[in-house]
Amino acid sequence: MFRLTIEKSLNHFISANNTDLTHIDNKVVSFRVDEIDLTLFFLCLNSRIFVIDSPQDKKVDVSLITNNASFLAIFKGASLEELLENEDIEINGSVNTAQQLASLLSSSSIDIEELISQYTGDIVAHQLGQAFRQIKKATIKNDSSIISALKDEITTALIAPSRSKFFKGRV
Amino acid sequence: MAKTTHFGYKEVDIEKKQGLVKGVFDSVAGKYDLMNDVMSMGTHRLWKNYTIASSNVKEGDHVLDIAGGTGDLAIKFRKKVGPKGKVILSDINDSMLFEGRKNLLNHGIIDVDFVQANAESLPFEDNTFDCVSIAFGLRNVTHKDLALKQMHRVLKKGGTLLILEFSKVENQMLEKIYDLYSFNLIPKFGEFFANDEDSYQYLAESIRRHPDQETLKNMVLDAGFEFCEYHNLTGGIVALHKAIKA
Repeated sequence: MFRLTIEKSLNHFISANNTDLTHIDNKVVSFRVDEIDLTLFFLCLNSRIFVIDSPQDKKVDVSLITNNASFLAIFKGASLEELLENEDIEINGSVNTAQQLASLLSSSSIDIEELISQYTGDIVAHQLGQAFRQIKKATIKNDSSIISALKDEITTALIAPSRSKFFKGRV
Repeated sequence: MAKTTHFGYKEVDIEKKQGLVKGVFDSVAGKYDLMNDVMSMGTHRLWKNYTIASSNVKEGDHVLDIAGGTGDLAIKFRKKVGPKGKVILSDINDSMLFEGRKNLLNHGIIDVDFVQANAESLPFEDNTFDCVSIAFGLRNVTHKDLALKQMHRVLKKGGTLLILEFSKVENQMLEKIYDLYSFNLIPKFGEFFANDEDSYQYLAESIRRHPDQETLKNMVLDAGFEFCEYHNLTGGIVALHKAIKA
């Protein structure tokens, strides 16, 4: 259901906006989110996106290994370059192809936090999303990098949870 | 010695199966929709909605619904493809096509084409359709491998095949209840609602003879599809196989 929802949302967006997919036609992009044991393969064919669980014999053009936060950040429009610089993501293959798909994911306004909440069946995604929004707000004021702030916040949450916005009032 | 195949639990001459299946559907055509609602307690509508949701069909697409019967999928596809698209409803059985045409007219739909065709030799050019669907039809096809190859042939690159079919129940307890239901109650429903117990006995038997999820997936891949995955619905009573021609 998780994959179907993403696939449906993307294709609805593509259809409604007449999105040109020729630059990623016949490409396979994989996303791996280790923390929630999630792997998605995005295949572009016939002007639509298929979200599949296995590429079978088809070559994967680019694979992205992310953590929860960077996976969410991609859907919210973060630049892959910036994520790479901050070592929040690992990309093997064509960065250009990955960026094209990432742009599509962010444009489609998929509520990925909600989907991940359903997928993981817990509140991790919701908390991450909340933290992401707080950081974004703060960094817009300070005009500094959203991703660096997010990275700092995750580090704080892991090392000193009592000081983290994630767990404010919970520990 | 003549080659045989299954017709429900009976072994029949391979040449005779098509005629026997025709007999079943000639007999049930008039009560087909009613019986689907009775037997599945309305759940077949949810299975079909899920199939449509999985189709990725969009405005302007060309869709072929094989064994389309009374046209419930074709009606939904027609809404999705809009006036620029095209939906063809095909069925080997003229009685079912007649019911389908009547049903679509009742829904005010006049621009779906009807084609009487055998799934094993589809009368369409290569690379024609964005989506081919077959709901509760494949198990009645004698040479399923041939039919799957034909579906692959008529699909465009990037086209989607959707096979909605009864399958293997995952849970043992559910399987026992399901067996009791399908071998004892379904034929009785058939007798009561459609005055035809034998056809519904065939239905229950043909479901058990149909390949399970993994076997069908491999058959789809063998037919030339690059990707195939399936989703069990209602505990595997039904499975939706979705394949992509790459």
